[in-house]
Amino acid sequence: MDMKNHVNVEEWVAMFEEVGLDEAKREQWHKLFERRHPTGHQSFLEWLGFKPEEIDRIRAQFR
Amino acid sequence: MTEFGRNSDNPHGAGGALGAAPPPLAMSHYSISKIARACGLSRSTLLYYDRIGLLRPTGRTASGYRYYTDADRTRLERVRHFREAGLTLKQIRVVLSSGGKPGTKLLESRLRETADSIVGLKNQQRMLAGMLRRVAAGKQFTTVDTQLWVEMLEAAGMDDAAKKRWHMEFERRAPDGHQEFLLSLGITADEVTRIRSWSRGETDTYELPEGEQAGIGPYG
Repeated sequence: MDMKNHVNVEEWVAMFEEVGLDEAKREQWHKLFERRHPTGHQSFLEWLGFKPEEIDRIRAQFR
Repeated sequence: MTEFGRNSDNPHGAGGALGAAPPPLAMSHYSISKIARACGLSRSTLLYYDRIGLLRPTGRTASGYRYYTDADRTRLERVRHFREAGLTLKQIRVVLSSGGKPGTKLLESRLRETADSIVGLKNQQRMLAGMLRRVAAGKQFTTVDTQLWVEMLEAAGMDDAAKKRWHMEFERRAPDGHQEFLLSLGITADEVTRIRSWSRGETDTYELPEGEQAGIGPYG
């Protein structure tokens, strides 16, 4: 993935913070994403540039 | 004892020695193929039911063929009835061996399972409709589409104003990332340009292209 065109996780989190999605809400968001759209969750995390093993860990955490 | 070969299924007992002898008992006897056909099951299913002890034939003929009675047939119909309601063979065996009346707990748990299946199916239906829409529109195929994304944001409590702020922030901090993200959702390049212009405050409202259904958020 071209990093120049890319948003890193910190930026992503910062943008969510900016619009009022705090940690608890983000957690809830991941949980919902994982429950309702597991493949969507997977491809979103891939899009954010996480490594496969990190993705597995993150997804397991919200299952 | 009556002989029930596989060939004896023919009610007229045509020709062979097997079909020639009439049953000596008044009670109806069925060969495995006959009862299978009567209940719309396969012979191998009946063999399996016998093996797992769900439905044992009443007896065997002198030459070893299984034969079933009306009582077996009634039991088999009950098995089928419970199968249709989605109970497992194991559950059915328990129900039949304990008076034949399924417990409330079992039925409730099965009812919950069906509700979960319905939710799952609705999800699939929505996903398939979305995939079809994207394929039909010749858009880039992705597993996260706009509808899904918006739904997730709203589930996390993001309202329209927050969504606009988020676009503005995205555009300000990482314009290229914003572009790439919108494209990854399957939004067309033209729409992406309009959304980004709206995010920079260059246009007050985001107008949907004519003929497109208005939806949630700026990109419908």
